[in-house]
Amino acid sequence: MAKFATVVPAPRSLPMRNVHPIYVSVVALLMLVERPASADPLSELSSFSVFDKIDLAQLAKTDVKTAHGPPMANPRYLSVQSCYVVSGTPGQHLEALRNWNPSAHRELKVFMHADVPGSPTEAAFAKIKQAPDNAAMRAFVAATNKMSADLQLSREEAARWKPGDGTLAGAIGDFWINVLTGRARAFASGGTSALAPYNHTGNAIRAGEELNGLLREQAKIRKQFAGFLDSTGIGRGSGSLKPELYWEMLNVEDMGVTSLGAFYGRATGGGAEAADVFYYASGGYYADLALYQMWPVEVNGKASTLVWRGDMISSASLATLRGVEKLGSESAMMKDVAKSITLFRKDTAR
Amino acid sequence: MCAIFNRSLLLAIFVVTTRTLAADIWTGEYSFDETYIGEANVTRGKLRVSNFDESNTFIRFVLTPRIKLGVLRLGVEYEQFSFGLSQRAPLPNTLQSVAAVVGIDTQISDSVLLRVEAMPGVYSEAFRSGSTDFNMPFVIGGTYIYNPNLQIVLGISVDIDRKYPVLPGGGIRWKFQPQWVLNAVLPTPRLEYELNKNVTVYIGADLKETNFRVGDRFGSDHGLPQLNHAVLTYSEVRVGAGVDWKLTNWLSIDAEGGYQPYRSFDFYRADIRFKEDGPGAPYGMISFHGAF
Repeated sequence: MAKFATVVPAPRSLPMRNVHPIYVSVVALLMLVERPASADPLSELSSFSVFDKIDLAQLAKTDVKTAHGPPMANPRYLSVQSCYVVSGTPGQHLEALRNWNPSAHRELKVFMHADVPGSPTEAAFAKIKQAPDNAAMRAFVAATNKMSADLQLSREEAARWKPGDGTLAGAIGDFWINVLTGRARAFASGGTSALAPYNHTGNAIRAGEELNGLLREQAKIRKQFAGFLDSTGIGRGSGSLKPELYWEMLNVEDMGVTSLGAFYGRATGGGAEAADVFYYASGGYYADLALYQMWPVEVNGKASTLVWRGDMISSASLATLRGVEKLGSESAMMKDVAKSITLFRKDTAR
Repeated sequence: MCAIFNRSLLLAIFVVTTRTLAADIWTGEYSFDETYIGEANVTRGKLRVSNFDESNTFIRFVLTPRIKLGVLRLGVEYEQFSFGLSQRAPLPNTLQSVAAVVGIDTQISDSVLLRVEAMPGVYSEAFRSGSTDFNMPFVIGGTYIYNPNLQIVLGISVDIDRKYPVLPGGGIRWKFQPQWVLNAVLPTPRLEYELNKNVTVYIGADLKETNFRVGDRFGSDHGLPQLNHAVLTYSEVRVGAGVDWKLTNWLSIDAEGGYQPYRSFDFYRADIRFKEDGPGAPYGMISFHGAF
């Protein structure tokens, strides 16, 4: 019987309560730029996604439709696509995505979530010292104490480790605050291109290259989001769009993992698009990206939004899976994505 | 007719495969297992076959290319049971099978995976004349993925040469602690403990049962003419403990030792059956396996 990697990070939480003025002006500017009109949302959806034939009325009655993404040559990569219909406009949905905090849902395995300011400071990560005491966090502490090869760090970061009292409230917390602050600052100033590789043991892996690889292997998606991604720091230097930064502590395969994330969103004509990226993870996976395309549609006379979401992940543990194991991992990822969308929809429907 | 059908089927599979696969074709899995079982006895009424040992070899090579429908399973497997029997023993000294593996793993929904796999081939008594009839046992099984830590497996095994051609099977795989997995899926239920990323120790069982055809003269040569060209169901149960050591991404070594409490040679259509007599026998197994 197969084993299933559970490397899919819990879905996003983006409580962006402080909208930056520059972001507002960029969005306003973009809203004035007319987007090339596509025949209709369903045609556009089928042009770049795995969803060839979607019955909008039927989809509106269901919760969410998920499917595995196209097969990718790199064994580290996995992708899942989903689509669903929500009531309200794309702008409202984009806002709901920003404000949703999944850490309230225990099943999503997000222990902690916090915003990070545009100019990251150590204070933004101080809460890591109050992380809950559970088996996954104890595994995280143990891995740090022995500078495990499972930790994803650069040589310089690993060299800064000074064993102290061996607790999260002490030396371990200080170490990770330092790592996270450095990485968040690097991303804020220069996108994923500015991030140090994971190279403290073994071959160097760069999150930016992993993200580019994921997109390269899904050419239709890359083309669909090319203009948008060019204005972000995803797989490149910092773009013109200002990201909303955050960090999380989550459980990935029974190991506490601390991750840094960034959310980008913009309105496009009547629609919207968004990207949510985990550009750093202390373990479990190298990089993770969720892209959203939103179109205004009318269902039963009500203003609604058709949403396509593409989740893609790069992880070393996926590379060890073959055949049915990989298929099982895709199923697990599909279930996780579907679960998160269901919870998101329940929360935002209130 | 049968040969034409098989050739057409293989051609169709080849065409579909080469058209739809790209770089993904050279993924697969393999296994080479060698088991030695110490001396034991079997009886049928007053007739006793004593003190014979067994060597079991199993080789399997399966390509698992990805296609739109799922993961194809195309390969070959070979199995041999060699028994240290005296010439007078009314049992076959060697049972051999060579079969293709043709199957697919596919996703029915985000919670259910389905495997359909056939093993068309020859299940013979040392490839002797009359024992090389074609047979095609197959399995159809579904896995319900409740979550990444718990899966439920249900399926059927079909073999028209078996006493009961259709048998149900299944079990659960439950990772109930970070390092503990109850992999209770037939025919190899196990309780596994992951010592570290590369080493897993386990206790478990292996329930083996295969149907073989013996040669045209097997019965006459052993004073039981009704066994000429007969179907023999060979079964054995092994219980033991082992360690699986993952050396690289593509190579693991599994060493296992334990006890064989049950074995039977059942010519069920002739109503002649030899079964374990006495305390069974110890066994040792080494396996090289992996995926690429």
